[in-house]
Amino acid sequence: MVQNLKTDVLVIGAGPAGSMTAKWAAKNGARVLMIEKRQEIGSPVRCGEGMSKSWLPEVGITPGAWVNLEVEGARIFSPREQVFEINEKHAGNEVGYVVERDGFDKALAIDAANAGTEIRLKTAATGILKEGGRVAGARVKQFGEPFEIRATVTIGADGFESQVGRWAGLPTNIALRDMDTCLQYRMTNVDCDTRYCDFYLGEVAPGGYVWVFPKADGLANVGIGVQLSKVRGMADPRTYLDAWIAKHPAYSKGKTIDVVGGGVSISQPVKQSVTDGLMLVGDAARMIDPLTGGGIANGCIAGKICGEVAAQAVHAGDPSRAFLDRYEKGWRAKLEEKLYRNWYAKEKLCTLSDATFDKIIDALQGVRLEKLSVHNILKAVHDKYPDVTKEFEAFL
Amino acid sequence: MVNKKSLHIESSGQLCIYCGACVGICPLNCIYLDETRITFDERVCTRCEICVKACPVGAIEIG
Ligand SMILES: Cc1cc2nc3c(=O)[nH]c(=O)nc-3n(C[C@H](O)[C@H](O)[C@H](O)COP(=O)(O)OP(=O)(O)OC[C@H]3O[C@@H](n4cnc5c(N)ncnc54)[C@H](O)[C@@H]3O)c2cc1C
Repeated sequence: MVQNLKTDVLVIGAGPAGSMTAKWAAKNGARVLMIEKRQEIGSPVRCGEGMSKSWLPEVGITPGAWVNLEVEGARIFSPREQVFEINEKHAGNEVGYVVERDGFDKALAIDAANAGTEIRLKTAATGILKEGGRVAGARVKQFGEPFEIRATVTIGADGFESQVGRWAGLPTNIALRDMDTCLQYRMTNVDCDTRYCDFYLGEVAPGGYVWVFPKADGLANVGIGVQLSKVRGMADPRTYLDAWIAKHPAYSKGKTIDVVGGGVSISQPVKQSVTDGLMLVGDAARMIDPLTGGGIANGCIAGKICGEVAAQAVHAGDPSRAFLDRYEKGWRAKLEEKLYRNWYAKEKLCTLSDATFDKIIDALQGVRLEKLSVHNILKAVHDKYPDVTKEFEAFL
Repeated sequence: MVNKKSLHIESSGQLCIYCGACVGICPLNCIYLDETRITFDERVCTRCEICVKACPVGAIEIG
């Protein structure tokens, strides 16, 4: 018989957002239990493994053996494959390091454990507990055995497939246009350029893009995201990705050693991420950058705030929504403006034809931008193709 | 299942890669992923077929 448990903070899901939350709650004096339904943290990987690096110090992450390599920047390829290069600092939250994502997730879990977090694997939340109208923990199964974990504060860090928010009645459902369905091959014996993360735009990946993130000489993650509202048949991501690879000899000669899939939200962030006794963090709160599809950085940045507020709520003995609102305000202050701006840019980009993408990248050839911003890019395009920028007047 | 279309997921490992894309998009929260097992709650599912589209490898069939 498994005993029912009690803790201050229960974190459901041991991805980056969950581990960061657990670490910062434990560091601030709360008793923390983190549960994970998988048997191994970080595995299987569901990630392109690209991430920016400027945010790492502020959340207390030190780069470790999980860094595969550092890239100089991003290359954006138009449909006719003209290139526009962007320096790493400006290239969005997927460009900087290419990482070993399973190692990264484990390193964050180790940090959480070192701060005092208890961790249980093979332990899935199957429902939430309620007490006087507030969320008060979860029903779980560990190695198939059901029991209950009571908690002052419960955290839903259960990723894209999140159920915790829905169980609590938080509006986390997303529409077809708000999701990219993704497929990626890790390929060896390819000719990749280890200086860049590459992005291919246009009809090769409707509503998304094809990416090539190099992991080492000859080794790269080659993947695709397709907007669900633009999916026509079964297995579109696979069909598009295979077609793209077949057209690129540098990759078609490669061998696939891993297949990765998954969903990425490209929506606005959730309207409400807290309720009495519960906070949502990371993909569960739809914090992925809707333009780049990168979610690691945002999940970690919000995770730190979430952990700190969880500990404060425990010390104050007040897990009410009004108290947890500090977290809601905190993460929105840091992330929300950019999430909305990039959501808007994504909405526009999704509507562009290949011809327009070609013109945009063509207009940028040889242009030296002082500072890389949507505004500056559009000005450069406007000089050469005034008709193209009509659709973007809101940005100018 | 007399009048509802039958639901079939090829989850024997031949097609399904257990990525959870279908789980996250299901508007009725009736798909559940447990490492290498996907289960559908047949009673809740309305056969809207969104999961069929969302599956990156075409492992879900409703017919
Ligand atoms: C194909 C693909 C490529 C991507 N590429 C990139 C990229 O290059 N760069 C980037 O920044 N982002 C990328 N992303 C997005 C990124 O992977 C996510 O944003 C990130 O993993 C979010 O972290 P998280 O902690 O919120 O959730 P996750 O990492 O998904 O962690 C959630 C955890 O919760 C566990 N869990 C779920 N339900 C339960 C339950 N009921 N009980 C217990 N545990 C549960 C899961 O097993 C999982 O371990 C990509 C996503 C996909 C699908």
